[in-house]
Amino acid sequence: MEVDVRQMIHPTSEVERVVKANDRDYNEKFQYADNRIYTSKYNILTFLPINLFEQFQRVANAYFLFLLILQLIPEISSLTWFTTIVPLVLVISMTAVKDATDDYFRHKSDNQVNNRQSEVLINSKLQNEKWMNVKVGDIIKLENNQFVAADLLLLSSSEPHGLCYVETAELDGETNLKVRQALPVTSELGADISSLAKFDGIVICEAPNNKLEKFSGVLSWKDSKHTLSNQKIILRGCVLRNTRWCFGMVLFAGPDTKLMQNSGKTKFKRTSIDRLMNTLVIWIFGFLVCLGIILAVGNSIWESEFGGQFRTFLFWGEGEKSSLFSGFLTFWSYVIILNTLVPISLYVSVEVIRLGHSYFINWDRKMYYAAKAMPAEARTTTLNEELGQIEYIFSDKTGTLTQNIMTFKKCSINGRVYGEVLDDLGQKKEITKKKEGVDFSGKSQPERTLHFRDHSLMESIELGDPKVHEFLRLLALCHTVMSEEDSAGQLVYQVQSPDEGALVTAARNFGFIFKSRTPETITVEELGTPVTYQLLAFLDFSNIRKRMSVIVRNPEGQIKLYSKGADTILFEKLHPSNKDLLSLTSDHLNEFASAGLRTLAIAYRDLDDKYFKMWQEMLEDAKAATTERDERISGLYEEIERDLMLLGATAVEDKLQEGVIETITTLSLANIKIWILTGDKQETAINIGYACNVLTDAMDAVFVVTGNTAVEVRDELRKAKEILFGQNTSFSSGHVVYESKQQLELDLGADEAVTGEYALVINGHSLAHALESDVENDLLELACMCKTVVCCRVTPLQKAQVVELVKKHRNAVTLAIGDGANDVSMIKSAHIGIGISGQEGLQAVLASDYALAQFRYLQRLLLVHGRWSYYRMCKFLCYFFYKNFAFTLVHFWFAFFCGFSAQTVYDQWFITLFNIVYTSLPVLAMGIFDQDVSDQNSMDCPQLYEPGQLNLLFNKRRFFICVAHGIYTSLALFFIPYGSFYNLAGEDGQHIADYQSFAVTMATSLVIVVSVQIALDTSYWTVVNHVFIWGSVATYFFILLIMHSRSVFGIFPQQFPFVGNAWHSLSQKFVWLVVLLISVASVMPVVTFRFLKMCLYPSLSDQIRRWQKAQRKERPIRNRRPQSRSSSSRRSGYAFAHQEGYGELITSGKNMRAESPAPTSGLEKMLYNNTSWIENLCKKTTDVVSFNHDKTAKL
Amino acid sequence: MEVMPQYDLSRLPENTALKQQKLPAHRLDLSASVVLSIFFATGGFCLCMGVILILSAKSTKELEINYTNICANCAQLREDSSNFDKECTCSVPFYLPENMEGNVYMYYKLYGFHQNLYRYILSRSNRQLLGKDIWDVKDCSPFQVSRNSTPIIPCGAIANSIFNDTITLSYNLNSSIHIEVPMLKSGLAWWTDKYVKFQNPRASDLASAFAGSAKPLHWTKPVYELDTDDPGNNGFVNEDLIVWMRTAAFPTFKKLYRRLKRVDYFAVGLPAGNYSFNISYNFPVTVFRGEKSVVLSTLTWIGGGGLFLGLTYTVTGALTLLASFAILAIHLMLKRTKKNFL
Repeated sequence: MEVDVRQMIHPTSEVERVVKANDRDYNEKFQYADNRIYTSKYNILTFLPINLFEQFQRVANAYFLFLLILQLIPEISSLTWFTTIVPLVLVISMTAVKDATDDYFRHKSDNQVNNRQSEVLINSKLQNEKWMNVKVGDIIKLENNQFVAADLLLLSSSEPHGLCYVETAELDGETNLKVRQALPVTSELGADISSLAKFDGIVICEAPNNKLEKFSGVLSWKDSKHTLSNQKIILRGCVLRNTRWCFGMVLFAGPDTKLMQNSGKTKFKRTSIDRLMNTLVIWIFGFLVCLGIILAVGNSIWESEFGGQFRTFLFWGEGEKSSLFSGFLTFWSYVIILNTLVPISLYVSVEVIRLGHSYFINWDRKMYYAAKAMPAEARTTTLNEELGQIEYIFSDKTGTLTQNIMTFKKCSINGRVYGEVLDDLGQKKEITKKKEGVDFSGKSQPERTLHFRDHSLMESIELGDPKVHEFLRLLALCHTVMSEEDSAGQLVYQVQSPDEGALVTAARNFGFIFKSRTPETITVEELGTPVTYQLLAFLDFSNIRKRMSVIVRNPEGQIKLYSKGADTILFEKLHPSNKDLLSLTSDHLNEFASAGLRTLAIAYRDLDDKYFKMWQEMLEDAKAATTERDERISGLYEEIERDLMLLGATAVEDKLQEGVIETITTLSLANIKIWILTGDKQETAINIGYACNVLTDAMDAVFVVTGNTAVEVRDELRKAKEILFGQNTSFSSGHVVYESKQQLELDLGADEAVTGEYALVINGHSLAHALESDVENDLLELACMCKTVVCCRVTPLQKAQVVELVKKHRNAVTLAIGDGANDVSMIKSAHIGIGISGQEGLQAVLASDYALAQFRYLQRLLLVHGRWSYYRMCKFLCYFFYKNFAFTLVHFWFAFFCGFSAQTVYDQWFITLFNIVYTSLPVLAMGIFDQDVSDQNSMDCPQLYEPGQLNLLFNKRRFFICVAHGIYTSLALFFIPYGSFYNLAGEDGQHIADYQSFAVTMATSLVIVVSVQIALDTSYWTVVNHVFIWGSVATYFFILLIMHSRSVFGIFPQQFPFVGNAWHSLSQKFVWLVVLLISVASVMPVVTFRFLKMCLYPSLSDQIRRWQKAQRKERPIRNRRPQSRSSSSRRSGYAFAHQEGYGELITSGKNMRAESPAPTSGLEKMLYNNTSWIENLCKKTTDVVSFNHDKTAKL
Repeated sequence: MEVMPQYDLSRLPENTALKQQKLPAHRLDLSASVVLSIFFATGGFCLCMGVILILSAKSTKELEINYTNICANCAQLREDSSNFDKECTCSVPFYLPENMEGNVYMYYKLYGFHQNLYRYILSRSNRQLLGKDIWDVKDCSPFQVSRNSTPIIPCGAIANSIFNDTITLSYNLNSSIHIEVPMLKSGLAWWTDKYVKFQNPRASDLASAFAGSAKPLHWTKPVYELDTDDPGNNGFVNEDLIVWMRTAAFPTFKKLYRRLKRVDYFAVGLPAGNYSFNISYNFPVTVFRGEKSVVLSTLTWIGGGGLFLGLTYTVTGALTLLASFAILAIHLMLKRTKKNFL
C-alpha cells in the first residue's frame, strides 16, 4: 500500500534526489513524500465504494451478483430473487464489518505514529511538530532515547567530533550500539540554532531504496562538496542512545524511508485451502456449465419433440418460440437453479469457523504469558487452518529464541571450575537451585541480575588466591566498556557487546569494579581500593584475530598484557609450561560448550619494560608507515601476544527464552524444518543453534558457506552436496567444515543415501549471491535436504527473500516468527507471520498474523490449534461439498422428468433456508468444536501433525470422494421417492403423488439424511452439537409447519402455496417409510466404508483413540525423546556481538566526554594526523564484512 | 514453572470449558459391537418391512384400462382443437374377474402430461382461488384474460387444461340390465385444499359474483356451473377442479376421480362381473403423444402404491445384512491376527 501511494505521487520513478536544507519551497517542487505513513486502506467516504469494489472482485461474490442479475430477467428466472440476495447481503455485510474494524485499528496505529512529536527547526525556531508534518529538508533535533522520525543526515551532535550512537534493533535486530559521525564541517554547527537555520546545503543522493547498509550522496555547501556515506545517516526506526542531542536534516520521509521501504508490500494472504477451494469452485463452475449445457440440449430436444404440441395445448396464447432459443434460456435458468453447488454460505461459514478458531487462540490460557499479562492474539482471522500445515519455520534469533540477556554462568580459574549449578541430569548437585545465591549485598555496587550460585568463588576471593584475583582483574581491564554515572550516582556501563557487559558486570560483582577510563588510564576498584592502571596499548579485536588484549602498567610499575579470546586461537599462543593447565581448562571448556555456553579463554603475560618499549617503538613506526601498514601492525600484535600464561576460561549464557529447546525438539518431531535467520554474526548464530538444539553434535555434518562471489558460493554448495550424496568421501577442503569427519565417513560408507542429519550455515553475503543468480537452485536443493539452516548476517529483505525462495520452489507452507522491525518483511512474506509481543517495538506484531508472548507457545499454536483448525476445516469442507451436491443434483435428475423446464424439486423457501438455517449450525458446530484427539494427545504425539503437511485431509481426491458421495445421495434421494410416488395413492385414496408432497418428502428426507450424516461426522459431541443438530431438525419441522399453515397462507397466498401440505404428507406412513429408506440407503454404505477403513487402515489418530479407550484410566505417557547432548565439540567465539574498532575509539578518547578534547597522547596525535580514525574504522568494517576470506571457521 | 508476578489479571482468558475447548463431550466411536448391532438391526428391519410391503401391495386389486386408442375416433376428433364443442362419447366394456372388496377408488391416469413444467405450475392465482380477490390474474400468464380482455376465472394454464372427461361406470348385471355404479364426488380432495386453499367468494349467488369474467378457453362451461346440483361442490370448491389444481410431480400420474358409494350391490365393494366405462371424451392427449386411462383400485394400510417400495426395502435389507456379515468376518479375522500378534 505504501508503495502504491508513493507511485501515485511520483508517476515516474525517482532516479536521484535533490534536497535543500531549510528550504521547503525549493523541495516542494519535487513532490517528495511527506513523513505521514499510511497502512490503512480506507477512510469514511471511500470505505463503501472501495470495499464493495474489492469484495466484488472476489470471484465468488461477483458470481453471486451475476446470478442475482440473471434472476431479475423474467424469461430465465427460475428462482425467486430472495434466494440469492439474502445470503449475498449477509456475506457482503459481514465481510464489510470485519474490514472496517481491521482498518479502524490500522488508522489508530497510524495516527499514533504520525502524531509523535519531534522538534523541528522552522523559521529559525525550534518548534514541536507532529511526525506527519515533518518535510524533506527540515532540520530536526533529536534527544536521547528518542525514536528517529525520518531518515536523517546527521549534522551535529552533543558528543565530541559529531559522534552519535544509535540502536538499530528495530531495523536489523542487532542490539549493540552503532556509531554515526557527522561531517566535520557540519558538526561545527553544534546546537547553534541561528547557524543551523542558515544552513543551506544541498544534498544530491540516491533515490529511496531498501538497502540498509548502503548510502551514497554528496553534500554541496559553501562551494565545497562532501561525500556522504552510510556513516552519516541515521535511519528512521533507530533510537538515539548515549547522546544528549543531535541535529539532522531529513532526506527521506514517511514511505520513502528505508524502514518503510523494507517493510515490503502488505500482501493479502490466502491459505492453501483457500486456493484449493478457489480451484474447486472453478471446477464446480465448469461442472455447472456442463450440466447446464446437457440440460439445455435436453430442453431443446424435448421442446422440438413434445413441447411444441404441448405448448399449443397449454400455452395457447404464447407466440412461436424456437426450441433452440428455449434451450438457451433453459441453460441460464439451470445455472441459477444449480448455483447452490457453490453455495455462498460456504464462504460465510468458512469465515465464521475461522473466527471461532481465532477466538480459541485468544482465549487459550496455556498461551497466556503471565509475566507480561499477554495472551496470544490471532490478529488475522483467515489463516488458522494453515497453522496445521506448516513445513518450514523461519525464526529470528534475538528476542525470539533468546532473551538477549547475557549472564555470566561459570568460569574455570587455574584448573578449577566455579559456578557449577544444578545440572539437568542431576550429576552435579553440590549446589541446588534451592540453595540461595551468592550474597552480593556486601559488595559496594551489586548488579541484581546476576545469579551466581557458587559460594566457593567468593571464598577463593576472600582467601586472596592470586590467580583468581588476576582473573577478575583481567575481566575488569580488558574490554571496551564505557562507564558513566547516571543521575542517581549509580555506575552504568555502556556496553557495545552484551557478552562483554556480562563479563565486566561479573567482575564488578566479585569486587573488581571497573570505575572509569580515560584514553590512558583505567580505574578499577579492587575489593574496595581504587587502583588506576596506565593503559599502554590496546590490541583491538578483529574477526581474524578473534582476541583482544590490553597492555597496562599497574601502580607497582609492572607491565602486563591481558588477553581474552577464542580458545582455539589463544591456546596456540600459550607458554609451553601451561600444558597441564591447558588440558584441564580444555576439558572445562568442552563442558561449558556442551551446556550451550559461550566461552572465552583468558590469559596474561608479564612484560619487561625494555621489551615493551622496543615493541612500542616498532608499533609507532609501523603505524606511521605508508606501505603494508596493516600487515606490519598485525605482525607486531602477533609478536607480543605470545608465551601467554593461561588463567582460565569464562562461560557466558545467552539466555534462551523459556522452553525453546523443548519446543524446537517437539516441532522437529512433527517434521517441521526450522531455519534461523538472524542479523547476528556467524559465531553467535551457530552457538545459539547449538544451544537451542537446532544444531546438534549428533548431526553428520554442518556445512558452512561463506563465499564472496557467486562462483565461490556455488562451488561451496556443490561440494556440500557432493558430501551429502557421498559421492566423494575423501573430499576435504577448507571450504566445508564438518564436525566429526570420522563419523561422517563411517556413515557414508554404510549408507549411500541421504539419511543423516545435516545442517547448513550461510552468511548474508553468500546468501545474496546465492539468491540473485542461478545458484538459487543449488542452495534450495541443499538447504531442503538439511534438517536445519542457519542464515546469519542477513538483512531484513534477505530474510524475506529466503522465505520467498522456499515458498516459490517448495510449495510448502512457511511460517516466520520474529520480534523486531527487521523481521517485518519476513513476517509479511511468509504464509504465516508471527510476532513476539511484549517487546518494545511493535512493528513485528503489527505486521504479524498472530502475536505470541513467547516462542514456546508456538508449539501449542501449531500442534493443537493449528492441527485442530486444519482438521476441522477439512471435515467442514468435505461435508459442505457433500451436502450441497446432494442437495442440488436432485434438480438435475428431476429435469429429465419435468421436460427440462427448470422446475425446482423443492419449495423456493426451502432452497433459501436450507444452507443458512436448516443445515448451517450443525456443521458450524462441528467446524468449531470437533476434536479427533485431545490437545494433550496432539502435544504428546507430534506425528499427528503430519497429515496437515501432506495435505491429506482435504485435497482434490478427497473432494472427488465427497462429490461422489453427494451424487450417490442425490440419486438415492431422488429415485427412491420417484419409484415410490409413481402410481401412488394416499391412505384415503387421495392424490399424494403431487408435486408439493413430493417436494416436502424430498426436503424432509434431505434434511434428515444430512443431519444423520453430520451426526456421524461429528466425533466430539458437546452440548452445542447436540443442541444444533437436534435443534436444526426441529427447526426444519417447525418452520415447515408454520410455512404450510393456514394463517401464513391467508396473508401471503401466492408466496406460501404449500398450505396444509406438511401436515398431510407427514401424517402419511408411506412418506415416513420413504424417508427412512432413503436415510438407510444413503448412510449405510458410508458407515460400512468408514468402519472398514478404520479396521484395515487405521490412521494415527484412530490408533490413539483406540489405545486411549483401551486404557482409559491411565494418563498418556510422554514419549518425548530425551535430550542428549554429546560433549564432543567445543564452540568458542570471541565476544560474539563484538565489533572491531572500539579499541581505537577508546585509545583516541573520542567517545569520552573529556572536558578538553584536545589530543594529548602521542599515539593519538599520530593517528589523527595519519588518517581519520573513523575512515579507518569504516574501511575495516567493510573489510570484515565483504572480504572475509576466513572461510574455515572451526566451529 | 516459576511463579510469575501477575499484575494484570484482566487479560487472563477466562477459565471456562468453552473458552478452553474442554466442553464435556462424548466421542463418537464406531466400535465394532455398536456398528454390527446397528447393521444387523437395520438389515433385519428393512428386510421385514420389504416383505410386508410386498405382501400388502400384492393384496391390493387394481384394474387399469387405457382408453386412448379404444376411443380412437374421439381421439382423432380432439386432435383438432376447433372441434372442442363437439360431443364425443365412447363406451369401454371390461370384465372384472374377482370381487374388489372394501373401498374402491376410481382414478384417471395420464401418461406424458407434464403437469410439472415450471411455467405451468406458476400459472395460477392462489389469491383468486381463495375467493378473496377473484380479479387478481397477474400471475396467470399466459391465461390472464380472454380475447376480449375480460379476466379469466379461474385463470392460468393449470385451470385451463383441466381434465374434462366425464367417466361413469356401469355394472352390467346381464346383457340388458345396466346399473350405474353409484359414485361419490366428495372426499376426493385434501381437507385443507377444500376448506382453506380454495374458497368461493362470499356471495349469495356465484353467477353474479363471477359476472364480468370469462371462462377459461378450453372450458365448455363457466366455473360457477361445474356442479350445479351441489352448491358445496361448485365454483372454486369443486373437487375435480381442486384435484386437478394440485399438480402432479411426474408426467405420469393418476388422480382420484370418484369413490365408490358402498350401497346396494356395492356394499362390500365391486362384485366380479361385466362392467363398462362410459366416457365423454373431451380431453385431448394424442396431440402431445400422451395416453390416458381409467383405474379402479383398492387400498391397503399404506395406501395404494406399487411394489417398488417393498422391493427396494427388501434389497436394501438384504444388502445391509450382507454388509453386516462381511464386517463381522473381517472384524473376527482382525481380532484373531491381533491376538496371534500379541
